[in-house]
Amino acid sequence: MGLLSFFDEAFFVVLFGTSLRASTPLLLAALGETYTERSGILNLGIEGIMLSGAFGGFVVALFTESILCGFITGVLIGLVLALITGFLTITLRVNQIVVGLGITIFGSGMTSFLFRILFGTRFPTLPVMATKMRIPLVADIPYFGEAIFNQHLVVYLALALIPTLHILLYWTNFGLKIRAVGENPVSADAAGVNVARVRHICLLLGGMLAGLGGAFLAIGDLSFFVSNMTLGRGFIAIAIVMLGKWNPYWVLLGAILFGVTQSLSSGLQVLGVDVRPEFILMLPYVAVIIALVFIARNTFLPSALGVPYRRGEG
Amino acid sequence: MESVEKPMNSECSEYVVDMKGITKRFPGILANDHIDFNLRKGEIHTLLGENGAGKTTLMNVLSGMYQPDDGEISVKGKPADIRSPHDALALGIGMVYQHFTLVPTLSVVENIVLGYESHLFLDLTKAEKGLKGIMSETGLGVDPHATVWHLSVGQQQRVEIIKVLYRGSEVLVLDEPTSVLTPFEAEELFKILKKLILVEKSVIFITHKLEEAVRISDRITVLRQGKKVEEIELRGLKEIDAQRRMNQIIRAMFGRIQIPHTVRESRDISEKTVLMVRELTARNDMGFEALRGLSFTLRRGEILGIAGVEGNGQKELAEAITGRRKIKKGEIELDGTSIANKGIACASRMGVSYVTDDRMGEGCVGNLSLAENMILKGFQQEPFSKYHFLNRRSIAQHSSRLMEEFNIKASDPWTRVNALSGGNIQKLLLARELSTHPRVLVCCNPTHGLDAMTTRFIRDRIKAETRQGTAVILISSDLDEILELSDRVGVLFRGEILSVSPSDEVKREEIGKLMLGIRN
Amino acid sequence: MIQISRYLSAISSGLAILAALATGAVLLLTVGLNPARVYYELFSRGMATHLGITETLIKMAPILMVSSGLILAFRAGLWNIGIEGQFLIGAILVGWAAPTLIRVLPHGVALLILGLVGFLGGLLWAVIPAVLKARWGLNEIITTLMMNFVGLNLTTWLVKGPLRDQTVVPPQTPVIPLQGRLPFVPFTRIHIGLVAGIICILAIYIIIKKTTFGFQLRVLGENRKAAIHSNINVSRVTILVLLISGGFAGLAGANDVLGVKGLFQAEWNPGYGFASIPLVCLANFNGLAVIPLSYFFSFLIVGGELMSRAAGVPIFFVQVIEGLMFLYFAGGEYFRKRKAGIHGASILL
Repeated sequence: MGLLSFFDEAFFVVLFGTSLRASTPLLLAALGETYTERSGILNLGIEGIMLSGAFGGFVVALFTESILCGFITGVLIGLVLALITGFLTITLRVNQIVVGLGITIFGSGMTSFLFRILFGTRFPTLPVMATKMRIPLVADIPYFGEAIFNQHLVVYLALALIPTLHILLYWTNFGLKIRAVGENPVSADAAGVNVARVRHICLLLGGMLAGLGGAFLAIGDLSFFVSNMTLGRGFIAIAIVMLGKWNPYWVLLGAILFGVTQSLSSGLQVLGVDVRPEFILMLPYVAVIIALVFIARNTFLPSALGVPYRRGEG
Repeated sequence: MESVEKPMNSECSEYVVDMKGITKRFPGILANDHIDFNLRKGEIHTLLGENGAGKTTLMNVLSGMYQPDDGEISVKGKPADIRSPHDALALGIGMVYQHFTLVPTLSVVENIVLGYESHLFLDLTKAEKGLKGIMSETGLGVDPHATVWHLSVGQQQRVEIIKVLYRGSEVLVLDEPTSVLTPFEAEELFKILKKLILVEKSVIFITHKLEEAVRISDRITVLRQGKKVEEIELRGLKEIDAQRRMNQIIRAMFGRIQIPHTVRESRDISEKTVLMVRELTARNDMGFEALRGLSFTLRRGEILGIAGVEGNGQKELAEAITGRRKIKKGEIELDGTSIANKGIACASRMGVSYVTDDRMGEGCVGNLSLAENMILKGFQQEPFSKYHFLNRRSIAQHSSRLMEEFNIKASDPWTRVNALSGGNIQKLLLARELSTHPRVLVCCNPTHGLDAMTTRFIRDRIKAETRQGTAVILISSDLDEILELSDRVGVLFRGEILSVSPSDEVKREEIGKLMLGIRN
Repeated sequence: MIQISRYLSAISSGLAILAALATGAVLLLTVGLNPARVYYELFSRGMATHLGITETLIKMAPILMVSSGLILAFRAGLWNIGIEGQFLIGAILVGWAAPTLIRVLPHGVALLILGLVGFLGGLLWAVIPAVLKARWGLNEIITTLMMNFVGLNLTTWLVKGPLRDQTVVPPQTPVIPLQGRLPFVPFTRIHIGLVAGIICILAIYIIIKKTTFGFQLRVLGENRKAAIHSNINVSRVTILVLLISGGFAGLAGANDVLGVKGLFQAEWNPGYGFASIPLVCLANFNGLAVIPLSYFFSFLIVGGELMSRAAGVPIFFVQVIEGLMFLYFAGGEYFRKRKAGIHGASILL
């Protein structure tokens, strides 16, 4: 035993495979938030949206016995909460931090309340399991193959979203609009871009992905729901976005960093290494701060991040 | 008062744009009061008027930035409901704003296709082709792949014009386009505008400079205090008539108020040097060298005018002297004591004051009161505060006194600065800086964007201050201002000062050349 | 103008609360509960019983302390959302030091020193974000947020490891004997934390309004650029504000350990930070307005707990009301601003 078995293929597959799966909710939320922030909105409500997605997804999956329905519900709940956020922050131009925290408190309270009403003190688990899809050939590649290519569909979706969103952001007209709106809404408006619409769309995308992420956490990664089960993942997603300089590829790296530390904390204990899990769980947050100091110190924030836009003002 | 209708030929008689009875109110101001304005195909129609006359507001209504409270617009004979810049562009109306509306982090091509193309994917090669076509047709040249913040102001303006043309605009609205240009660049712009008319475009040209207006316009509409006061046809007029028209325009612009133009008095400037700047080198915010080893001296009671086009190191020079910017090399001495890299607090303690041109950005805090803004720099001194506690009464007294002295119009010292007009804000800044009786006063564009009366007041006040021995560095892109006030004039070009000479010896044209870096 | 805006502010807060309660009623009806009964239990137990009133006033103390720090930071335009971490660090330090200090020192002196320990603990947890912000302009929203999670894990580790009371099974610090805790306000069962909390709020109110430090932080909060240009030492003010702000959170931690819990427990996080942020915004960053709001807020928590036992409604219901209240308030803010004619697109309200 000991550290040597760290390099054992089976252990590696489990560690990396679980890390990837565990990072997926985070990755989805962070990818969505990348777009939201690029368009100039800081959405602190994704924690609440993820929780609501997790709850809604779980309940629907439980009653319909359909994982797919669960995911769809998660996405829809994310959409609705993002619509509310958008109405308040974009249409009414209310402070984004207040609205975000309001959504988070509401989501956390609502899900816990409804869960208790529905199930009392029971903790039901899903009768159906999310099925994995093994992609032949590539899954036979040693070490990485089994870890990456034997996953749930949503994991592939999240991975596929990375290049897709990157292309959308840098190669399309809509992506250009997003970059312009977050950087200089006045100019974008003068150029004929509908600032509010671009922001609404980005916020909705962010909400849907966060809702899906939450649903995946409850019904893809785990198969139960508990109060506040997201454990701050929504906030971590925001940190990852900043760490990833608003670029989908870098965001993946940040998400994996968190996933790995989470699996490590349990993995190392399995190996019998005597480290308290809290110590390892603390590391990614420290890493974010250190990384910000060294990497992000010189990055440009989207200039208009957090500032409401109104034509003819500033 | 009646407009001179002289249709040149049948094609031109039709109005491309026809605005009738446009009224626009802002809180407390009637910015446009039932203004009629129209534009024929293929003409340059100038909107002339002082700052605050309502020219930009009128054009913002046309370009969809503002919604009019009253009045109607028709484009090419059809009534138009313009609710956003997008609508205006669709109707073929493109505006080039005074403050450019380019996204600095994007490239030229990206800026040009932004908000225009509706295909899913960006097709920058196609855009580039279209761009090159426009460039060869009009003589506008710029690198399509450059990132906008790397470009000079003149180049950015070209990008703006190309952008508007690329969208198929037939009507170009240019808001004070020459205010950011060198005399040479302005000439280039005029040539381009003439070319545009040849290719069937129509131009609305906004300016407050009479000379320019007369030189390039086919027609001039004069606005004053939100009202249309005159419309004059210039096309086909003889030289003598033109001269008479000019007088007519001057009367229209300024009404009966004669602005007293003070004659420069010969003053005795002491030989004592107050400020010495040697081999000053400093970087700008982007990390590029903005000041390259410039040197000059400033004597007691003297006004040193620094002319030059925006962006040649003006900001950096002012900030270096007033302790706001670290310098890399060189020396700044005030009465023989070094003040380089000592910070703002030290510089201001030593008697260096700064009137910034970024009034609402750096100069004052909009959400705080006038009184609080007055003590923004002196709040730590008695009687404004004692033992770390503010003395509200003496703060208000101080402020009332300055309001009276500087003729600042506000209901009381606790009025929020956001509620004041631009002129009053500038007077506030000047009052605050002069109340410390500085030895050196650095002013950046002190009258930019102000009306004639406030401009007069501020210039006179600066001049009066020199009689008490204050030395002034006047950094301005307004050449008239420099020539009127300065005892000596220097030209700042790419971070260097080209020739400092007494102002009665310099010629306008020479300075104009120097502003472009052309030395004899 | 200011009068009108204050008046409107009070009305819009009131309306937001009513709207939240109404929406809550609809929710209760939907899940088959009787809203009249739930609200009756909530208000009668929370506002009309001795227990409810006492507990509410006790609960107010930490919220007032945390809000004091938040107001200071927000007024300076600094978004300290690291209250949770700062609270926990302050609390665990007090939990660790209290048993010994109370034994060896006179009671009053010990409590004063422990208050200071809590304050310093919270302050310590704000040092890194403060320095990073002042030195490199690193966004404090992110750093303070991260410090929350570091603090949460660090305190859990400490209380399960080095600082654990080995004599009991659950991971916690040694219990402070009852006579060693905060004394009561005469004739009540409310400990003096409430008095301290009100003093904190009033002190902050005066500091912001009347002192040169308050002036500097207001300038900084309204216009950072102008602050730099008016020889305000921006780094110094930034650091001081964030440190003091963290200190108040730590003080709240000390209050809860010394007055309420008597020890520091693993997995204990009352979550004052995230709740107090919208609360402070609701009060428009005005210290005096925070006092009634924090009363209502504490009442919701305490009344909710009492109501949930009596009416069999999950305690989380009040959290729903809380969230709704903030969202409705946010919506109302738009109309209040329009009415009062306040323009400007600052990140602050």
